[in-house]
Amino acid sequence: MRRGRLVPFLLSLPGAIWLLVFFALPMATMLSVSFQEGSLEEGYRFTGTATNYTDAVTKYDFILWRSLLFGLIVTALTLVISYPLAYWIAFRGGRRKNLYLLLILLPFFTPYLIRTLSWKFILADSGFLLGTLKDVGILDEGFRVLATPIAVISGMTYNFLPFMALPLYVALERIDGRFLEAAQDLYSSRRETFLRVTLPLSLPGVFAGSLLTFIPAVGDYIDPEYLGGVNTTMIGQVIQREFLTSNDYPEGAAISFLLMAGILVGVFLYARALGTEEMTG
Amino acid sequence: MDDEIRRLLSQAPRRSVMTRRDLLRRMGIGAGALSVTALAAACGIRGEAERNRTEENGAAQDPDYTTDEITGTLNFANWPLYIDRAKGKRPTIDDFEKSSDIQVNYQEVIEDNESFFGTIREPLANDQQIEWDLIVVTDWLIAKMARLGYLEQLDHSRLPNFEQNAGEVYKDPTYDPGNAHSIPWQSGITGIGYDPKRTGREITSFEDLFDPAFAGKVGMFTEMRDTMNLTLLGLGVDPQEATVEDAERAQQKLLEQREAGIVREYYGNEYADALIRGDVWITMAWSGDIFQLQFDDPDLQFVVPDEGGILWVDNMAIPQNAAHPIDALEFMNFVYDPEVAAQITAWVNYICPVPAAQDILAQAKDNYTQQVAQSPLVFPTPEMEARLHSYKTLEEDEEEAWNDLFNQVIQG
Repeated sequence: MRRGRLVPFLLSLPGAIWLLVFFALPMATMLSVSFQEGSLEEGYRFTGTATNYTDAVTKYDFILWRSLLFGLIVTALTLVISYPLAYWIAFRGGRRKNLYLLLILLPFFTPYLIRTLSWKFILADSGFLLGTLKDVGILDEGFRVLATPIAVISGMTYNFLPFMALPLYVALERIDGRFLEAAQDLYSSRRETFLRVTLPLSLPGVFAGSLLTFIPAVGDYIDPEYLGGVNTTMIGQVIQREFLTSNDYPEGAAISFLLMAGILVGVFLYARALGTEEMTG
Repeated sequence: MDDEIRRLLSQAPRRSVMTRRDLLRRMGIGAGALSVTALAAACGIRGEAERNRTEENGAAQDPDYTTDEITGTLNFANWPLYIDRAKGKRPTIDDFEKSSDIQVNYQEVIEDNESFFGTIREPLANDQQIEWDLIVVTDWLIAKMARLGYLEQLDHSRLPNFEQNAGEVYKDPTYDPGNAHSIPWQSGITGIGYDPKRTGREITSFEDLFDPAFAGKVGMFTEMRDTMNLTLLGLGVDPQEATVEDAERAQQKLLEQREAGIVREYYGNEYADALIRGDVWITMAWSGDIFQLQFDDPDLQFVVPDEGGILWVDNMAIPQNAAHPIDALEFMNFVYDPEVAAQITAWVNYICPVPAAQDILAQAKDNYTQQVAQSPLVFPTPEMEARLHSYKTLEEDEEEAWNDLFNQVIQG
């Protein structure tokens, strides 16, 4: 083999080994675990059974649906909030663009967990915010934000906003200003320019941002665990409990793969709807 | 309102010596970090049924240790903040090392029973040695491990202090007849904690957790054993006698409470913060936590419901094939010296298995230690003790059934 042919192979080797060790291997292990049967005391053995999957569907189907629904709502909310924001920074940000971007990223300087836990204090039922409003009489004594679906969805929207805003910004920033001038030269109104030029050109950003938000949001553990209550259980919590409390590893693994399948199908449908070519930008 | 802010902002310890509570606060325990060890345990789960070993160990037999002598080493696995500390040291461990010439490798590796068991199960099932000579786990896990033959029999001739000083409740418990495999480390009560300022009335009954007046202000536990056993007691069923039908009735009761919007959240350790913040007014609670919260808010109350509460016991035990069993027995005997027991309890604030420690603490000069000595949450009164029950010891299929029933309650 000539040396030249070997180079690309060698270059890809570190990445390939990394993927093999830290992605393929654990995935294969977990896949095999999801087909095991047994108990913690007697050990789990591979039997090829599908009962873990059928059990998971019968026991937790509504939690899976709820997780997908929450993920969808969060993605939509972050999109609606981030698009005008990213648009404004990209086209009107001027010299301060970097400062604005830094401001979006600023919450990331604090760990995810701490940011979420701090809301527990700020929004406590008798804390300094709700407590004051209740004392003044603006809010009913029984009013609460925490331990509701709204708290979980708002928390996730807040935490995932930068994942949507940054790809959107990159896509919008890349748009060649001459396209917009050309559209106006051809007597296109501002609204038409946006709908027929800017928006289609920014779709790769929308797609990337949606994936970066939707996928982690569906499997999120921290927001429902700390901001949620009785009717907000998400699938990440179920998996955590199966693994660490019930010690039912096969069941936990099966739910994880069901979740992955659900997300893959969702993403596939989404890519089809938006048109794959647009996505590669 | 003002008090609330002050409490949140001024989290300064009240004494120069840090207690477990202060440490818990500073470390932010209860932030629910997933333990890495538990995750690691989830990988590689092969194993063969080791049932046959149960038969061998079922009958009481003479202890069969790998060594009959003190070796000078002790590997001790315990829970975080479960032994006294002062100035970065552990006085009890230091005293033991000085008096016995045994070096203690003390590790705070146990985050919860299930995941710790996950880390040691496989070598034990394969009859291998694990790294620990002494472990501290809760009573139901003692029963389970003893049933599987994973624990050494204790040589009680080496535990004179236990015979002499242990409280009667702690001898010959249902989960480990004759203390064959374990003796208590510390224990605690599962009951009800509440804030009278908010509930506006005294709480005495389990049914108070179901009062619609407290809708959205009630906390329950994610701990299956605590919640199910307490609910069974509330239904008038002795947990030891409970059948699967009883467990189903308990589930029904809990589901109704949930559907009616009475439960705010199912909590792990975070219930304590929720109670202090006022997010919950009345909640299932552990005695040791409420005792420590009372330093922040003296109004907080802990009650054993009229229907009964749970006395759970964390026990010391020696795993099968331990390398240094005699050293472990030496330590077990050492902590049943009333002076030593008092020293641990003064810091840990859970229930002390040595009644004589109460008098020793009562003679202390400082206010704090006196308070520990006087608190029924550290030294329960006989009336309280009379209302306490143990967890039901669950067979494996029962445990699975109970887990399934309970998971449906908390994961809706």
